Amino acid sequence: MGKMTRREFMKTTAKVGGLALAGSAAPGFLKIAGAQEKHGEYLKAKINWRQVEGEQIKVLVTPAHYFTKFRAVSPQFTELTGVKVDFEIIPPRENREKAVLDLGAKTGNYVTHTADPMFLPLYEANQWIDPLDDYINDPKLTDKSWFNVEDIIPLWRAADSVKGKLYGMPVEGEATIHIYRKDVYEKLGIKPPETLDEFKEAAKKANKFDGKLAGAALRGFRGAGQNVYIWPSLFLAFGGKWLDDKGKPQVNSEAGVKSLEYYCDLLQNYGPPGVENMNWPEIMEAFAGGNIVQYIDANSTASIIEDKNKSKVAGSIGYQRWPKGPSGRRVTSIWNWACPINAALSQKKKIATWLYLQWLASRPTQFSSAVYKETPEAVVRTGVNRVSIWSDPEYRKIIGYTPNYADVVLTSMKEDTDADWRPRVPEWPKIGEAMAVAIQSALVKQTTPKKALDEANENIAKFMVK
Amino acid sequence: MFKGREEKKRPRPSHIRQQERFGFAMITPSMLFLFVMAAFPLIMLVVMSGFRIDLTYPAGNRWLGVGNYLQMVHDSRFLHALKVTAIYTVSTVFLQVVSGLALAMAFFRSFRGQGFLRVSVLLPMILAPVVVGLAFRTMIMTPEYGILDYISMVLGFGSKPWLVDPEWALFSVIIIHTWQWTPFAFLVFLASLNALPSDPLEAALMDVRNAWQRFWHVILPMIRPAVVIVVIFRTMIALRAFAAIFSATGGGPGTATEILNLYTYRESFNSLNLGYGAALGTTLLVITVVISMIFFRMRESRM
Repeated sequence: MGKMTRREFMKTTAKVGGLALAGSAAPGFLKIAGAQEKHGEYLKAKINWRQVEGEQIKVLVTPAHYFTKFRAVSPQFTELTGVKVDFEIIPPRENREKAVLDLGAKTGNYVTHTADPMFLPLYEANQWIDPLDDYINDPKLTDKSWFNVEDIIPLWRAADSVKGKLYGMPVEGEATIHIYRKDVYEKLGIKPPETLDEFKEAAKKANKFDGKLAGAALRGFRGAGQNVYIWPSLFLAFGGKWLDDKGKPQVNSEAGVKSLEYYCDLLQNYGPPGVENMNWPEIMEAFAGGNIVQYIDANSTASIIEDKNKSKVAGSIGYQRWPKGPSGRRVTSIWNWACPINAALSQKKKIATWLYLQWLASRPTQFSSAVYKETPEAVVRTGVNRVSIWSDPEYRKIIGYTPNYADVVLTSMKEDTDADWRPRVPEWPKIGEAMAVAIQSALVKQTTPKKALDEANENIAKFMVK
Repeated sequence: MFKGREEKKRPRPSHIRQQERFGFAMITPSMLFLFVMAAFPLIMLVVMSGFRIDLTYPAGNRWLGVGNYLQMVHDSRFLHALKVTAIYTVSTVFLQVVSGLALAMAFFRSFRGQGFLRVSVLLPMILAPVVVGLAFRTMIMTPEYGILDYISMVLGFGSKPWLVDPEWALFSVIIIHTWQWTPFAFLVFLASLNALPSDPLEAALMDVRNAWQRFWHVILPMIRPAVVIVVIFRTMIALRAFAAIFSATGGGPGTATEILNLYTYRESFNSLNLGYGAALGTTLLVITVVISMIFFRMRESRM
């Protein structure tokens, strides 16, 4: 077999991997080819990949499809480095609790986990994790020009930094975008809304036009990662600010109340039945089943709703950035899965963990895992961490659901948000919980938006008093 | 009071003492296990409740004494949780006793197919509460698609906001708990009905025409101890219910179904305020113990 180019290498890996079952990921032909060819891209890095050979590390992940892909390609890392990687797979909420307990008790059970970036300030305040800069700047551990950390989406790195230092390695992420039924829009003569007012008008016009279709959906389920993953975009688009210059909370400002009223009004009048308990999977399913005209949520849902086997509406979907709020701003979420290094580990395990993170976040792994088919019906990853992959024509072709999809996502991530989309303070878990209750209480009319936010603001002010 | 029972002390023979020593040796492992698994965490809980242990601001952690408990008095979410817990406990226990009794009376007399029906009545109890909660949320009470909602629509009552309206949600979680645990009451009542002496029942059959009077004046007084036992057990369980509500509503919408146990969990593991969470847990523990003691006293005094 002749020498392959990088692209050929990755294509073949993906194809052969697609035939192989998940688990037996190292394709047979690669074993015949020498190590030089198999790991050619990685061996260009001027570091010793085998410096902690024989180590074993355990990684805590969620059951999301992108982590399934990471798991499936990880045996290649073991071949390259001699470090064995085990995975524990637990849903996000329990994942977070387990990680906090492990870090808090300093048991060092999980060397890294797929962390919520909003938790990094908390970890840092307790000195539970190591700054990654120390690893990146050590020439024995990282070949900086090969790894090229600047290529990783800058906003994600900013979101994963505390006090100017990077604490979590972004490995996968997303932005929220406006996803709508093109066919319904055309039928009713609706133009893709430019502003939030137009968005509500569109929802009103389309709601139940055929007797059952719901006008619009946003996450209603209570939780810092559920309804408090959507409302902050409205809050900021209405011109709100979480904290004033003195660090005092401002969620009950006029912008806060107006944005929550907007949210409640939209969902109470034009939302699907039971939206109060809907998280993104329920919304995505309802949309794929043809029961919702439009929603604003993660771009990653596209890989399901565009799959003809899983969705009735595949092929008739439009995508665009968030509509503008009264402040003139479009505000998307900022989200990535950030992998920190547990500070309670032995030096050798820390190095093994860093090698794994470096390998996982590197361009070759990000690309090959994005298109990897662990099962024949597997979907592609729509949240790779590198700007250079997003602008790679080959990747854009793979995720070209519509001609503008890749640009909508990339522009959203570049222009429509900032690292302080939600307040990045150690107290976030409490703030998130207080806001989750406030938003849902208002949505189910247990209280009014104003009262709910007044109470939340008072509580947050109490948490923030040191 | 029990003067008659007092015995004079006299030296016990050595073989008895030997046996006692052997007995102690035998129970030591299980006592140790109990201490490590139950007593030690309990002591830790009470100790923690005296501290401010807040992972979100570790620099501020310190000894508070009763500070956490004083904070509760002004905590509207705690007071709300207390109210929800009271409503939840009283109504689930009441409903379980009433429907358990009704079922037991229905199954008291033998009829064809009784065995089959008895088994099907017991089924809910076999399920894990978390499964029950999920099933109700995703299959039974789901708007428009759930079985219960479908039946309600077919019967002309229309789709109901089972788990999404604050008042309906509380009602729904009470129904879920009652549905799952009535079999327990049913079993106990049926056993004690079957164990009743037949003479008074036959006499009642002769003398009292009205079936309701027979039940109220003859049967119920005789199975009173069983009723008290069911009330005690079910109250203790209802006070510390968790899984079914957690998976059905997560304590929501808003805080509508947030019982004290759930609030404790959220405060400890979502807000990471471990000290205050421990104080909430201790309060729940004290409430449960006090209520159980009152019931046991009542039972002793009247039996």
